Amino acid sequence: MPSADRKKAPKASERLRRLLVVVPYLVQHPGTELTEVTRLFGVPEEALVEDLRLLFVSGLPPYGPGDLIDVDIQDGRVWVRMADYFGRPLHLTRSEAIALYVRGAALAAMSDVPEAPALDSALAKLADGLGPETLGELPQRIHAAGGGRSADTLEALRAATAGHEKIRIEYYAASSAATTVREIDPEEILYAIGNWYVVAWDHRSDEERLFRADRVRTVEPTGERFEPRGLAGVGRPLYTRGEADAQVRLLLSPDARWVAEYYETEEQLERPGGSLEVVMPAGRLEWAERLVLRLSGAAEVLGPPQLKDRVLELAGRTRELYG
Amino acid sequence: MQPLERLVNLVALLLDAHRVLTFDDIRERMPEAYEQEDLDTAKRMFERDKGILRDIGVPIEVMATDAWESEQGYAIAKDAYYLPEIAFTPQEISALFVAAHAGREGSSAEEAVRKLLYGAQGGILVGVSGFALATDGVPDARLTAAAEAVAAQRSVRFRYRTSRGVEGERRADAYGLAVRGGSWYLVGLDRDRGEIRSFRLSRVSSDLTDVGEGSVPPEGFRAADHVQVGPWGPGEPQERARVAFSPEVAWWATKGLQGAEVLKERADGWVEVAVPNGPGEGLASWVLSFGPDAVALEPEELRRDVIRRLEATLAVR
Repeated sequence: MPSADRKKAPKASERLRRLLVVVPYLVQHPGTELTEVTRLFGVPEEALVEDLRLLFVSGLPPYGPGDLIDVDIQDGRVWVRMADYFGRPLHLTRSEAIALYVRGAALAAMSDVPEAPALDSALAKLADGLGPETLGELPQRIHAAGGGRSADTLEALRAATAGHEKIRIEYYAASSAATTVREIDPEEILYAIGNWYVVAWDHRSDEERLFRADRVRTVEPTGERFEPRGLAGVGRPLYTRGEADAQVRLLLSPDARWVAEYYETEEQLERPGGSLEVVMPAGRLEWAERLVLRLSGAAEVLGPPQLKDRVLELAGRTRELYG
Repeated sequence: MQPLERLVNLVALLLDAHRVLTFDDIRERMPEAYEQEDLDTAKRMFERDKGILRDIGVPIEVMATDAWESEQGYAIAKDAYYLPEIAFTPQEISALFVAAHAGREGSSAEEAVRKLLYGAQGGILVGVSGFALATDGVPDARLTAAAEAVAAQRSVRFRYRTSRGVEGERRADAYGLAVRGGSWYLVGLDRDRGEIRSFRLSRVSSDLTDVGEGSVPPEGFRAADHVQVGPWGPGEPQERARVAFSPEVAWWATKGLQGAEVLKERADGWVEVAVPNGPGEGLASWVLSFGPDAVALEPEELRRDVIRRLEATLAVR
């Protein structure tokens, strides 16, 4: 009997939904390892076994020995027989099909992802197989417009991440506007606001850092492996605030509002006339100087005070290049 | 009997049946499930179960048992229940798996790909390494709602804030979706302006409300043609400009930039590059983002724009 403090069990409808997807796989793949089922279907092993035990007493009338579904779990592997009517899964719902198609199209749009060509053909088969009643006009009406920078080191970074390999990279850091060599332990790869990022432990600063993949010039293996530290992946902020960080406060005119969509901000305040006041964390002011410089009059520096002087100094140095 | 067992048996019974079954038939075959003496109580329980099955997408139909329609019964339409067979290659199913798992956990896309796995060769997904794909703060539900409107050619209403910060109500016939640089755009006929416009979904500040049937996009419509490049890039390529970069940034500035071509490396280590140039001051702004690590060389107009911007900054002094 479940004890009172046990986590609330999922409802029968949730469990049934899961079974109608898992069982066809097990019927088609006799002897699959439970750990594999757990990984593929995102269901905890304990819950899976509980559901399978129940399946064992289910079947067709009159529910004699020859009518029940045959479930066999041995040495961590599972067999399901006598369930031919569950040999194929339930049709995709419209919203499931659309969600998968949209995700696939987003990934297929990235030329630097090696899965892209296979995804293109997979999506075509999906649209064809499900028919227009499921996806409607969507397959003809969804397009990738490119954009973003390609990262030719992405493959090497993904491989090192998957294999927990420490690597040596040549990196152009926008924060300091300099290219440096450093050793990193890459833990996660993520894509956000048009760019690929690597979440890694940086041995140079002895800190967790986020590296933009397109700014990684070279990847060199070190032959060493590392133990993952469990650094946060998707959903993490693209900038982790350090203790020594300055707060850059800018007043963006309508022409410069794009900055708030392109960079991580800590605060956004609407101001009269369509202006937007933003607060952005910055470990170093180099990138902020360059940002303000490119925006010319479209952004006003509200703080820190030294940023204004540094922008002027940078503008002076840049102006000299033009004689 | 546990509810789950009852539900599994009911689905099995209806999938295995070759004819329409009345409630009496079902009760007779599943005596332990609907054992209540009182017919109404048993029927209510069956109705609840039927509701659950429909909610998770099991297509139970109510139909007459014979041509005279004297009695109502229940059946699962097999072709509506079963996923059609689609023969994916191992590469294709892996790619779909990676795509589905690139988003937030527990999404409908993951659920969808799990259903497709049954036909895949066992073990092909071992060691498939994924990565995370974050959309720019657009909730999955909004993206799916936009895709559904496009799929069914609907017209939608929503609140929208322009890139320049002006907020207002929009009504658009959903024509297509475009993705550019990780951002999603709904492209459609703006009903108030009478023109095709693109709406970045991250700037939509409400749910999309369906307001009826939409119009049909013009012949040859492509959603991507209606999405402009953002102001952070160097601009839409039309002609070419010549820019020199310091050794520090040259490799990054030119790599992965569509249409960029290295012209020569100078004796001082600076690299001269031909880059796409477009109307507006996008390129001038982009060149300045490199500070003193980039110099605009050609055309003269670009140089003037850069200098004018620098002078404007310096004039505050």
